[in-house]
Amino acid sequence: MDVKKSEVLQGTLDLMILKTLEALGPLHGFGIARRIEQVSRDVLQLNEGTVYTSLLRLQQQGWITAEWGTSENNRKAKFYSITKRGQKQLELETKNWERISGVIGRVLRLEAERES
Amino acid sequence: MSRRESRLRAFAAKVRGFLRRHRQDWEFDHEIQEHLQLLAERFVVAQGMSREDAAAAARRQFGNTTLLKEDRREMQTFLRLAALWQDWRYALRVLWRSPGFSATAIVTLALAIGANTAIFSVVNAVLLQPLPYPQPDRLVALMRSYPERNYWSISVPKFVVYREHTKVFESIAAYDFAGPGINLTGGDRPEQVKGIHASAGYFDVFGAPITLGRLYTDEEDRPGGPHVAVISNGLWRGRFGADPTLVGRTVRLSGDPYQIIGVLGPGFKSDPPADIWLPLQADPDSTDQGQYLRAAARMRPEVTLGQAQAAMKLASEEFRRKFPDWMDSHESATAVPLRDTVVSGVRPALLILLGAVGFVLLIACANVANLLLARATLRRRELAIRASMGAGRWRIVSQLLTESLLLSLTGGALGLFIGFVGLHALLAIEPVSLPRIGEHGAELTLDSRVLLYTLLVSLFTAILFGLIPAISATREDLNATLRESGARSGGGFRQNKTRSLLVVTQMAMALILLVGAALMIRTFEALRSVRPGFDGHNVLTMEMALSGSRFEKTAGVAQTLREVEQRVGAVPGVEAVAGACCLPLTGGPDLPFAIVGRGPAFSSYSGDEQWRNVSAQYFQVFHIPVLRGRVFTPRDDAGSAPVALINEAMAKQFWQNEDPIGAQLLIGHGLAPEFEDAPRQIVGVVGDIRDYGLNNEPAPIMYVPEAQVPDGISALDNRLVPFVWAVRTKVAPFSLIAEIQQEVRAASGGLAVAHVRSMEQVVGESTARGDFNTMLIAIFAAVALLLAAIGVYGLMAYAVQQRTQEIGIRMALGANPEKVRKMVVWQGMRLAVIGVAIGVVAALGLTRFMAGLVYHVKTWDPSVFAAVAVLLSAVASLAAYIPARRASQVDPVVALRYQ
Repeated sequence: MDVKKSEVLQGTLDLMILKTLEALGPLHGFGIARRIEQVSRDVLQLNEGTVYTSLLRLQQQGWITAEWGTSENNRKAKFYSITKRGQKQLELETKNWERISGVIGRVLRLEAERES
Repeated sequence: MSRRESRLRAFAAKVRGFLRRHRQDWEFDHEIQEHLQLLAERFVVAQGMSREDAAAAARRQFGNTTLLKEDRREMQTFLRLAALWQDWRYALRVLWRSPGFSATAIVTLALAIGANTAIFSVVNAVLLQPLPYPQPDRLVALMRSYPERNYWSISVPKFVVYREHTKVFESIAAYDFAGPGINLTGGDRPEQVKGIHASAGYFDVFGAPITLGRLYTDEEDRPGGPHVAVISNGLWRGRFGADPTLVGRTVRLSGDPYQIIGVLGPGFKSDPPADIWLPLQADPDSTDQGQYLRAAARMRPEVTLGQAQAAMKLASEEFRRKFPDWMDSHESATAVPLRDTVVSGVRPALLILLGAVGFVLLIACANVANLLLARATLRRRELAIRASMGAGRWRIVSQLLTESLLLSLTGGALGLFIGFVGLHALLAIEPVSLPRIGEHGAELTLDSRVLLYTLLVSLFTAILFGLIPAISATREDLNATLRESGARSGGGFRQNKTRSLLVVTQMAMALILLVGAALMIRTFEALRSVRPGFDGHNVLTMEMALSGSRFEKTAGVAQTLREVEQRVGAVPGVEAVAGACCLPLTGGPDLPFAIVGRGPAFSSYSGDEQWRNVSAQYFQVFHIPVLRGRVFTPRDDAGSAPVALINEAMAKQFWQNEDPIGAQLLIGHGLAPEFEDAPRQIVGVVGDIRDYGLNNEPAPIMYVPEAQVPDGISALDNRLVPFVWAVRTKVAPFSLIAEIQQEVRAASGGLAVAHVRSMEQVVGESTARGDFNTMLIAIFAAVALLLAAIGVYGLMAYAVQQRTQEIGIRMALGANPEKVRKMVVWQGMRLAVIGVAIGVVAALGLTRFMAGLVYHVKTWDPSVFAAVAVLLSAVASLAAYIPARRASQVDPVVALRYQ
């Protein structure tokens, strides 16, 4: 099957970034992009620029914070890390996601049963 | 997290972002650059790309960085706010770069806004400021009411009845008109101050604050009550050096001892102005029918004006039941908001002036709009380029409006200055007595209301003149504009139509103003050519308070009169000396009379006409001609037969074809015992004088020799009004002031002289308010004419410039300059004529409101309209002629090369 690279939904990207930061600790934008690329095994293709839009949004809501630091190759970079509030939000969103995906999964299975 | 909270956080982040936007821009750029570099390095390492290819691939993978930055800005800061700031800076640059245009627009606006600020500050002080009393909305004046109008004067018996029979008022008071003034003798200099006799309720009604001592009580406000006085804070400080022990002390007021019991708080202003308040001590059983008191009341908080009026009507019916003979058949009583009494006389004129400056502002707006339209044509390419770069229409409109706003706010600030300084300069040159503006307009201040008004006018102006050009400038077809070779390709048909419409409107409004001004000027001339019936040249006048017990009988007055006549008459350069109740042009009392031997016209009287007590030389001083019989002589004194003079108007009205000489008048019979007069024989007829303003026809007057006035009337007179002295001099009257004043003072036993004026000044003051209005409207009309002329000129000059090429072709094909000139002038004139026609119709509708301001000219006077129409058309054709001449001088060769 030819897997078309699906566009990443806005809210999904936020969730993915939060999860990434929770799992790996402080990261800069490039690192986050790499991690998502790696985890999604190239299924999800994103304009890496949108990562930054997402980061800004998360910052505005106070779910992550940013701090200037030095990257592994000794360059100045902005490191993002998840806040307490961000962790709470992640928990909430995760539950939400599971619930919704469960529902959608059931609906889709239902459709499939009828077709078969 | 709630949606609301989430929004709030975003907003807070925006505020932070806005404040730190430059640093954040830089940081973000850095972050993106880093990211791109890292990506590119990865491509080089992992896929062995060249540096250029890797950079390109990195950009592809990253996506549109510009869009991202825009997104970020939108998220992190207030884009519109930033844009607004940008607009302001841009507008400033644009306007700075065309100083000629900006200066013209700003000065035009400043003049118009300034005129509006000036007039509004007067309107504000006179009409809008609340009266300076606590809860001023609850204050009402109690008036006699007739079907045609109300009179703010009542008699003592009416006041007594109204006080007893109205429950709607918290407090009620009667007081006199501040009368002749009170002589403060003793101390280092005699001084005359104004005093009001007021009933005890006065201080409650006006909420007068007290600094020292106490106010007088109802018990003290009884006939035969004690001589007590309350004085103003100003008098206490000025005359008594703010002496805290003054209360309880006795001072002499007009020769009689009074105990000062209280000092009012600073800032208390009475109307009429006064410095001393004495108990009215009116007799509740009085039968005095003289209507020489004012009455005012403070309504209870829950009472409405309508209820107060109804209560007054009922009270007046009660009065009629009690005293059926003392009330006219169609008389009633009413309550009128106190503020209306202060300003009702000046309101129409002020509103007309406000309307007039409004027109000036509109004309100025039209002019600036025209300027902007012309400029917008020149800026079409600039705007088109901005639009093609992605600026939305709204963005461009807001940019253009910002420019307008900058112009109008600068104009407004300048106008505020011009208006304020100009108004005070005008008032200094031409003092006018308007209520509540203070001496030379000292109380006209730039309060928040005036500032707000100016700001609003400026904003309104900006929208008015800025919106049409902004919208029409952005309506253009972008492609067409960009494809055209140059800026001079000309505005579309529609734009010229807009501009023509503006010029027509301007013309119409200018015509309205000019008609108004012409009517005022005609009135001014008419008043100057009126023959007042007296000669005021070389006459010096002054007032003196003959108050106090010494002047309660006529003999006291006659004695002083004789002394003054003698002493002042002896001053070299003095031709004649007279004393009287009143000067010509200043009005006076009226009294009912019966013609002896004739059946009464109504009730027991033949009529009720003006009554003047004058001394023998009065007619000589004012050069009032004797038409028949003789005038008074010094022998017409208390001991001789009672005589009277009448004027021509009275002779005509009551003795149409008969000879009035020898007839007898019984004046004021039955009014009150103390006014009782013997029948008087008419010994002469004198010429008419205009006594109630130059614009009022002479009224019938009877004259009585001063020495023969009944004692009761003398006493009343001297309590109510000052006595006047009039001196005819052979030289300029002011050169003798010092000597005359000194002699008058000496002859009267040291009484103060007040209000020294030449009779010419008295005449001038009687028309000052009208003259001031005339001057203002004339100034406004002149400005309007100038602006309208500039408008026509601007439009035609622009049209000629636009059509240079066409004109060149015409000329090349053989059109002669004369024809070209005519064509252009005709185009300008066509607009002017349409404007004039519309203006004439509008003016016919509007000048009606000026009916009360004009004299001897109809508000639709055809000659005024014709003259103004011709003047305006002539100015317009002149304004069109200048560009027309330029058009006719176009060199075809140059014109054809011209793009």
